[in-house]
Amino acid sequence: MHYRFDFAALEEYWPDFLSGALTTLQMTAVATVLGLVIGILCAIGRRSPRAWLSGLCGAYVEAVRNTPYLIQIFFIFFGLSSIGVRLPVLAAAILTLVINVGAYTGEIVRAGMDTIPAGQVEAAESLGLSRAQIYWDIILRPALERVYPALTSQFVLMMLASSITSQISAEELTAVANNITSITFRSFETYIVVAFLYLALAVLLKLAFWGLAQALFPRRRRLGTPL
Amino acid sequence: MSVTRRALALVLSALVLGATAPAAWADQLADIKAARKIRIAVAMGIPRFAFVDAALQPTGSDVETARMIAKDLGVALDLVQITNAARVPTIQTRKADILVASLAVTPERKKVIDFTVPYATLNIIVAGAKGVAVKGYPDIVGKRIGVTRATVNDMLVTQNAKGAEIVRFEDDATLITAAVSGQVDLVSTQEAVVAVMNEKRPDRPFEVKFVQSELNLGIALPQGEDALKSWLNEWVKTNVANGRLTTMFRKFHERDLPADLTSRN
Repeated sequence: MHYRFDFAALEEYWPDFLSGALTTLQMTAVATVLGLVIGILCAIGRRSPRAWLSGLCGAYVEAVRNTPYLIQIFFIFFGLSSIGVRLPVLAAAILTLVINVGAYTGEIVRAGMDTIPAGQVEAAESLGLSRAQIYWDIILRPALERVYPALTSQFVLMMLASSITSQISAEELTAVANNITSITFRSFETYIVVAFLYLALAVLLKLAFWGLAQALFPRRRRLGTPL
Repeated sequence: MSVTRRALALVLSALVLGATAPAAWADQLADIKAARKIRIAVAMGIPRFAFVDAALQPTGSDVETARMIAKDLGVALDLVQITNAARVPTIQTRKADILVASLAVTPERKKVIDFTVPYATLNIIVAGAKGVAVKGYPDIVGKRIGVTRATVNDMLVTQNAKGAEIVRFEDDATLITAAVSGQVDLVSTQEAVVAVMNEKRPDRPFEVKFVQSELNLGIALPQGEDALKSWLNEWVKTNVANGRLTTMFRKFHERDLPADLTSRN
């Protein structure tokens, strides 16, 4: 047998793996919160009767969803510095993630909003609810609850896609793995360890989303069933 | 239950098979001759060593070296184009028979792959914009410096300039883009790369701050291939001595190879 697995060689790099995983987690956390906000705003904008607003949001969504993430990263990272804006690498990486995931989230949230029957909104209007109340209680919260599983997997996908930011030298989990491989030449072992770390991060993320759902949706908390 | 177990067994056996498959090569030199084809890996996107010309054909001193080897072996050339970071793994996993990709001979790499006698050299340097005051590694600490991942540059800067913000790119082409777009004002790379950077940023040219090291480049091959290794060693020595390799090298690099090249390490 030519190849002998040697995980012991990686032991001294464990702190590097952990710091890479932590960076991935930080990027994911910030991008999830900001991406969700942008996604919701974009969904509202796309449903707006004002043509310029819905057109603008539509253009954003189509531009992002129909181009590869890698191209978007290079475009933003090198494009920004060409016009003199030099962001820290991590900030640039998070910015690209937010722009990317915002478009996908926007479409998911919009789909959820479209499932709310018009009669329900009309009923709220005739009861004299304010526009903010209607959007929050009648449209947004039930809509989010309906598309919650799709949202969860979108953010897990984003966490996995964040590995691409290693291309612009963000020192996240994949970049750390590439560094360790170039020092130890133990690529098989390194990528096995990294695969398990990503798996653990994905489970962690799903748990966090489950907890958030319990807090956000009282109906689900009390009945224990999805909508 | 049994389905998962069977799936697991399948995955495990695939792993074991994948890991043992290289044992099939007993004498690679004989196999290359029998197949009438040699797979030579080159890392593209490295100015002067391996790049595409105006007609989009691969050329450069590494590519021409590969062509000469195939021709002298009397077999067809299968050029395997890879990235910088994939150089050592490509030989470890035998995705190519040999590798001619400006790979420096280092003790760490020697533990996992074999090298021939040096066939070329490479000066690695730290270069930066005019205003940046850097004379040695301590001056880099606290600054942002761009390198290409999995190079000796990366290793030297990481070891000697702890506390520097090292930004690592996957290949020289991306590093050049980073320098041209102004993401980095300081790079650790080789002279040829700096020349390309300066062509594209004539208003703020980079200048060499200091030379980090002169690297000896070896042709890489899997360990335990003694017949192939001695054939390649002979080939390098002969063609450096008769001037074929040196003439070709000068065409791309506009400098001579050191006289004691093939007797080094």
